Parts: sequence; C-alpha cells; structure tokens
Amino acid sequence: MKYMLLVYHNETSFAALGETVHAQMLEESIRLAHKVAVPGQYLAAPLQPTSTAACVRVRDGKTLVTDGPYAETHEQLAGYFLIDAGNREEAIAIAARVPGARIGTVEVRPVRDVPGLPTA
Amino acid sequence: MKYMLLIYVEENQGLTEAERQKCYQQSTVLAHELHAKQQFVSANPLHPASMATSVRVRDGKRLVTDGPFAETREQLGGYFLIEAKTVEEAIAIAERIPVASRGTIEIRPVMELPDLPT
Repeated sequence: MKYMLLVYHNETSFAALGETVHAQMLEESIRLAHKVAVPGQYLAAPLQPTSTAACVRVRDGKTLVTDGPYAETHEQLAGYFLIDAGNREEAIAIAARVPGARIGTVEVRPVRDVPGLPTA
Repeated sequence: MKYMLLIYVEENQGLTEAERQKCYQQSTVLAHELHAKQQFVSANPLHPASMATSVRVRDGKRLVTDGPFAETREQLGGYFLIEAKTVEEAIAIAERIPVASRGTIEIRPVMELPDLPT
C-alpha cells in the first residue's frame, strides 16, 4: 500500500540548528530514502521554504494567486516521502525513522488508489 | 524544476461519490496530458485526514497520535508533482486541476538533490 509521509517542522527552529546539522539530517534522509525505495514508485525530496510558496484558487473562472503557504501553522511542510508499506504500522515505523520526526511531525496519509494514472 | 502542487479542499464538501470519481477522472486526464509533455512526475489522491496518523520522536521515544498534523478548514486531499520551467508555468498547471475551483492549490518548489533515488 502506498503512503505519503509529510514532514513538518518549524522553519525558524530548523534554520537555527545550523548547516552541519542540516547536512547530517539530509544525508540520513537520503540513506533512508534509498532503503525504503521501491523502483519506479518511490519519491522523496525536501521542499523550498514556505517563503517561496504560492497559492492558486479558481473562482468563477478567474485564477487568484497569493504568495505564501495555504495555512500559517506552527510547523510548516518541509518535505515528503512516498513509500510502499504492508500496513499502517509499517508506514508508522518508517515515519519514525525520518530525521524530521525528531524535531517536528511526520504525518502518515494512506494514498487512494485511482486506476489509470500514468507513471513518470 | 520540480514543483509540488498540494491540493487542499474541505473534506465535507458535499461531494457525492459520483462527483468525486468525476474529479479523479478529470485529474487523470490532466495527468496524461502532462505526461505527454514530459511534465508529469507523480499524482495521487489521499484518503481523508481522519485516516491520518501523526508521528513524532522525542528523546528517542515514539509518539503516535491519530489524525492529521493540523486541523485546518481545508485538508490535504492529494497532490501533483510536476516539472515546470517557471512558477508561472506551475501556476498554469495548478489552475487546471479540477478541484482548484473548490479548494486551494499550494505550489512549493522542490529542492533537487543529486543523491535522491528517482
């Protein structure tokens, strides 16, 4: 079963951890990504900070674009992993190994199976 | 550049199952159009936030709670991961996502790292 792991952390606190810690966390995330990778199905990456976000809404046929993330929350979405796991417990165990879980929150969301989607 | 398009929508929208399936069908058509232009990386709808689990590790201990990370009015319902040259191009794709007329599409540039598996 596919699960989306959404990695949230407070961007300000994260920045304060410094480059060395960032590099270590990134390296650990990449190692984890390689371990849980399923060829052709696996995706993971950090996102650029919320200062680079934009929001799009279409109302009455008009496109409205605003700067910034959808919601101002205490922790911001910082990255994601798309994984394959046998069940929820397995997905949770993988989420707990994400370095970001130690400083923030990893949300585990089961993916709905929609047939007919292309593969990249 | 890769962009993550996060689809936020109110879950209790009064969308019937038939309307939801129609949204998925239209999104699948969009996905195939993007794929033909080599702009499609991935897309999936997610099961509702009520099926989410939040995981934190503090002092080596695992803390698992039911529910999404945050209770917001609109919840993350799915995503498209696309290739686009500019944010304007990403916006032009986002506005074509069927549920953009009901919810909000958050566009986030992805940090590309050479060592990540693809």
